Amino acid sequence: MSEPVLVGNQLLELREQFENPEQQRETASIGMWVFLITEVMMFGGLFTAFTVYRLSNPAAFNEGSKEMTIVLGAINTALLILSSFTMALAVYSSSIGKTKLLAIFLIITMIIGLCFLGIKFTEYYLHYQDHKVPGFWFEYHGPSARQVQMFFVFYFILTGLHVIHMTIGIGILLVMLYRTLLGSFSATYHTAVDLAGIYWSFVDIIWIFLYAIFYIPGLHLK
Amino acid sequence: MTPPPLTRKTLALVFLALWALVLGTTLIGFIDLGQYNIVVSVAFAAIQALLIALFFMQALYEGRIIRIIITGGIVWFLIMETLTLGDYMTRGWLPFPGK
Repeated sequence: MSEPVLVGNQLLELREQFENPEQQRETASIGMWVFLITEVMMFGGLFTAFTVYRLSNPAAFNEGSKEMTIVLGAINTALLILSSFTMALAVYSSSIGKTKLLAIFLIITMIIGLCFLGIKFTEYYLHYQDHKVPGFWFEYHGPSARQVQMFFVFYFILTGLHVIHMTIGIGILLVMLYRTLLGSFSATYHTAVDLAGIYWSFVDIIWIFLYAIFYIPGLHLK
Repeated sequence: MTPPPLTRKTLALVFLALWALVLGTTLIGFIDLGQYNIVVSVAFAAIQALLIALFFMQALYEGRIIRIIITGGIVWFLIMETLTLGDYMTRGWLPFPGK
């Protein structure tokens, strides 16, 4: 049974296994961080596989990287960092009880996230037109066509997985916005917003590494 | 050491630092550093990841248990990376009879 505890001016549901709201909040936070560690291991495995293949074919992987549109990649990176900033501001606003600002920052973060996805799908379309999607459709003129194709296999798997995480993140922010409008959050209770912020920033970190390994190494060849 | 108080100003400074680092990563990418291009870009990415984790994800302001969990996760990731790459990079170093 949950026991209602008066925190500030709001009744907060305190589950029976917890001593106080702070312990309940920290437990939720631990849950999110442990989940993110499993995500680190998943993406980490793929990054390790990428590194192994890259070490075997550094020149071909640089050629593959040369095919990236740096302008779109850089804009997307800047956008995602901006969205992490607005999300951090959303978390900050909720911690001081400014729920109107919280709703505004959640909406801005979602819009930036959607812009990111729009640019990403534009990039995918350009790769498709350029015959750079791995499979029988793939075309690359040069002695290391197979290795360049391998680069694109990693590119599509890793960025695709990232797109899935972004989409889930936007879904989570939608739920947070709905709960904000229902008045579920206050200065004393905003755990769910904190956790959504941690998840969103984590997805940003993954992209920053993707930008570093896919877009930058072939830049000097352009 | 006491962390700086988490204010809007702190968050804005971190945000500007992150944008500067992205710009730096991109500009350095145009210089031919041979095999070190990716090393430099990943190092820049690691600095950005650290800033995001400490301030935007508020790891700096979390309790000891969460800090241990984060450190543990990073250590396990590095073990996976080091052992796997150690294996792949040293294959062929020793002569095996019959191979």
